[in-house]
Amino acid sequence: MNEISVKNIYMCSEDVVAREIEGELIIVPLVAGIGDMDDELFTLNETGKLIWDCLDGKTSLLDIIENIQREYNADTDLIEEDVLGLVGELVRRGILIDKSTP
Amino acid sequence: MTSFVSKLNLEDFSLWKKIEDHRVPLDFYLEITARCNNNCRHCFINLPEGDVEAQNKELTLAEISDIADQAVELGTMWCLLTGGEPLLREDFFEIYLALKKKGLLLSLFTNACLVTEEHIAFFKKYPPQYIEVSVYGISEEVYERVTRKPGSYANFRHGLDLLFESGIKIKLKTMALRSNFNELSEIAKFCREHSDSTFRFDPLLHLRYDQDPLRNNQIRQERLTSDEIVAIEKADEERSMALQNNCAHFIFSDNYRVDDDFLFHCGAGKSSFTVSYDGFFRLCFGLWHPDTIYNLRNGTLEEAWNHHIPKIRNIRSTNPEFLRICQNCPIVNLCLNCPAHAYLETGSMDAVVPYFCQVAHARATALEEAIKEKG
Ligand code: SF4
Ligand code: SF4
Repeated sequence: MNEISVKNIYMCSEDVVAREIEGELIIVPLVAGIGDMDDELFTLNETGKLIWDCLDGKTSLLDIIENIQREYNADTDLIEEDVLGLVGELVRRGILIDKSTP
Repeated sequence: MTSFVSKLNLEDFSLWKKIEDHRVPLDFYLEITARCNNNCRHCFINLPEGDVEAQNKELTLAEISDIADQAVELGTMWCLLTGGEPLLREDFFEIYLALKKKGLLLSLFTNACLVTEEHIAFFKKYPPQYIEVSVYGISEEVYERVTRKPGSYANFRHGLDLLFESGIKIKLKTMALRSNFNELSEIAKFCREHSDSTFRFDPLLHLRYDQDPLRNNQIRQERLTSDEIVAIEKADEERSMALQNNCAHFIFSDNYRVDDDFLFHCGAGKSSFTVSYDGFFRLCFGLWHPDTIYNLRNGTLEEAWNHHIPKIRNIRSTNPEFLRICQNCPIVNLCLNCPAHAYLETGSMDAVVPYFCQVAHARATALEEAIKEKG
């Protein structure tokens, strides 16, 4: 199944489009089967948005966690928990993909 | 465990609060062609399918993509693809996909006649929010009396069946016409049976955007009388309830009087706009007065939205007759008159239009009676 590893790099799937309107993040499925219903949209909470902005398809989760830790001076374990939680959820929904697996 | 991702509930989306105090173009109508495979008697836009001149004027895929980019930049979420018949465009799939890849939520108006298995497979893969189909008749005789195109009924039913089977969300609508008047109740029944979403019919027939006098006459001939319109609205229970609930507190009271001479009191240009097949930006889809349109081929959407619209919404009426009669009209909410419609009817955006006035007064009388009956 989808093992989330901090060593991996994740990026936005081509099956969704993420856009921002007036600071609100909206994730729009492009193809059928992303949500339970075809016209479902998604959004992220504040923490989710902060992490989302770091998922650039180039940086590994490990580096992202480190960057956030440095910037916010927060507890690394908590950040790791949040990052893994968010990425896990997004991967499960087909919104993020692991860049290393074809 | 906390969840970071949530399904977006559009009803209480925090975006609405953020944009309360300024205008954002949340949605737009995009007419990708004026050409149509049908030739409906009442149609305000259609040009022949093979009209090369009209085809040459159509926005290209690149132009459409550019307009959509600008719209997305301004915050647009929804786009409705319409025409003419949008499926006539040879690059329909490309246009649709280009818009969808920008994160726009798409819907489509179509007459269904041209829908093929290929369309269905495509829409199943890239679902629209909904597809709205016009049902002009549910017998060959009536349908083709309206469309004036032999064989169109069979194509329509075939396309519609494909759409129904696909599981895509379908909305149905009809126009109330002289030519389908006798079949209207059956059309309404058919639509309600075949679609979950609210069926709607439109009694107002717009006059031609190109002001073709011959076609305008044909449209006028299709119009129902005010009494007929009221009779259908009354028979159509859902609709008359909606009218009663929405309008009863607006009319027969003083609370709608306006004491300014601004032309626009409606929502035109507040959260949506329309783009014509040849690139003209309009505040709403019926508003064609030359002073109010803006050529996107020579400018930007940002300019149209932020600078052109405020100028238009500032236009004041200078017609004393209109100001005297319509400005303080207590039943304006039942009336079809508005700057767009008045212009199409009379060539001026502020005019009293007798046909509209008759319909509004007939509606008011019917409402008054209905309310009395209910006690
Ligand atoms: S099908 Fe629609 S666009 Fe075509 S002629 Fe009829 S009303 Fe006009
Ligand atoms: S046209 Fe007649 S009903 Fe309509 S707003 Fe003017 S006065 Fe009122």
